[in-house]
Amino acid sequence: MRQRYLTYAAKRLAQAVIVILLTYVFTFVVISILPGDPITNVLRDPQNGFTEDQIKAIVAAQGLDQPIPVQLWTSLSHFLAGDLGLSMRSTRPVTTLIAEVLPSTLVLASSGLAVALLLAAVIAYGTQFLSKRFGQGLLRAFPSLFLSVPNFVIGLVLIHTFGFQLGLFRVIEPESAWATFFAAIALGIPISAQIAEVLIANLDTESRQEYAAVARSRGLGQARLFAKHLLKPSSLPVVTVIALTIGELLGGSLITETVFGRMGIGSLVQRSAAAQDLPVLQAVVSLAAVVFVLVNLIADLVYPLLDPRLRLVGDAKQQPNTADESSAPTLQAVTG
Amino acid sequence: MSVATLSAASSAAAAGRLAGLRLPATVVLSFAIVALVIAWSLAPGLFTSQDPVNGVPAHKLLGPSVTHWFGTDHLGRDLYTRVVYGAASSVTSALIAVVIGVIVGGLIGLLAGFLGGWVDIVLARLVDILLAIPRFLLAVIVVTALGFDTTNTAIATGVSAVAVFARVMRAEVIKTRQATFVEASFLQGGSRWYILLHHVLPNASRSVLALAVLQFGLSILVIASLAFLGYGDPPPASDWGLLIATGKDYLKWPWLVYAPAFVTIAAVLSVNRISRWLRKTD
Repeated sequence: MRQRYLTYAAKRLAQAVIVILLTYVFTFVVISILPGDPITNVLRDPQNGFTEDQIKAIVAAQGLDQPIPVQLWTSLSHFLAGDLGLSMRSTRPVTTLIAEVLPSTLVLASSGLAVALLLAAVIAYGTQFLSKRFGQGLLRAFPSLFLSVPNFVIGLVLIHTFGFQLGLFRVIEPESAWATFFAAIALGIPISAQIAEVLIANLDTESRQEYAAVARSRGLGQARLFAKHLLKPSSLPVVTVIALTIGELLGGSLITETVFGRMGIGSLVQRSAAAQDLPVLQAVVSLAAVVFVLVNLIADLVYPLLDPRLRLVGDAKQQPNTADESSAPTLQAVTG
Repeated sequence: MSVATLSAASSAAAAGRLAGLRLPATVVLSFAIVALVIAWSLAPGLFTSQDPVNGVPAHKLLGPSVTHWFGTDHLGRDLYTRVVYGAASSVTSALIAVVIGVIVGGLIGLLAGFLGGWVDIVLARLVDILLAIPRFLLAVIVVTALGFDTTNTAIATGVSAVAVFARVMRAEVIKTRQATFVEASFLQGGSRWYILLHHVLPNASRSVLALAVLQFGLSILVIASLAFLGYGDPPPASDWGLLIATGKDYLKWPWLVYAPAFVTIAAVLSVNRISRWLRKTD
């Protein structure tokens, strides 16, 4: 068992490293086959006011005069050494640019996740306390409603209602506590829907199990049945789902930050995309991939330890790490 | 006369079949909303007589009324008219995105699942890469690479959906490939191509269809977000996302945000409901 787990962990780790490296290469290729030419677009932009000599110096410094495979190799080896290069627009190190805006995004993303978890728990667990005829159907409809609303609309509605009409926060201070709170709600609502859907599906599956029927026949009420028997087995698999929503948390921050006017990774991406500042885009995408892959790696490694029902059967392919977005993660429960 | 009886009979039969399906009321409503949106995009002129591009400056920023259902914008253009004319762009873009996802993702999943071996391994890594990049960020990168316009946002959205389709298709293909009837067909001398076309694809299509419908709704949202961030066509285009983005600068007149947002939400909600219904009636 222990031996198997270690083999599984080693396999997953190797896989994660390969995916990160390949993602870097993939992003580089996508960005390099750009029809637009960054030299003319950014450097020759009269607004930047570079002279021809300066442009030549920057081109040489960025290695833009080299053939693409050479550029890729240089860039990849720098990336592995932790050097993300220089921004083409401001000629400052990309690492500095990202470090400046990272805290804001981390605050937003973590509070967004907290809101999502809280909402998902209220919706999914709430269905257990409401009767089928009254209220439960309504609660079950929430996730699909949440999934149908663009998160910038939620942000705008919150700004309009709580910022303008009720005056709870000033729109010109987007990093204030209240503004952050509402930004986190806008970010968290669509993500809560995905978590709630999985939770509800798991609760439904668990309450159809024989042990639940036995507990009911013993006269256990729905509330006790839920708290004592259903809560844990239906909630544990959510660990892997949360890891999968990390990507959406980052993507959602991009929009939410723009709506609320926060200076985070999202607005950095916005500005860099508009200016075709490729080194910055390359760095942000690669870092996002690193975060996503690592979080999922951790979730996959921790999950078998958390859930005693899970025994490692067969090779890593059969692990529950690849939960479908459309369905609840299927557990390989040990029967007997 | 015979034609009349025939059509009456067939329409009665159709009604019978429809009753046999026993559509839930919400599904009927969803189909109606989707039909309306499609009608808007095919023939916007039938639903409004006003001009979507040139407004009447004297009528600017009017609230919703009988003459202007959704009010008017800062240039005095009727917002309902702009929403109706914007439908075509939003629907077409979402369609392009889904077609790209289905064809590219479906092909990847089909090859990976059907051929197996090293093809599967290589394609699985490719899908891993696409999944590792946050979907929306991937769309932003692709649209930056292609240049900012609405068709490119649709392509970018499609690219960002490829991984999901590849995954579902692969899972379905593997599931079907191992089924007993496929084995039987193979033993009877069915070729790989025959099995692929006659057994594997039809069986996988149901799940892929449900996913495609779901992704259609999601694509409307992603494309609206990209338009909101300014990656689509500039005004006077009237994509729903762009309308909301323009409205946000006039929050004192909230219908400029709420009306197009309401239409977007209603459309996406309906599409999601249909997808759910498709998945359930297997």
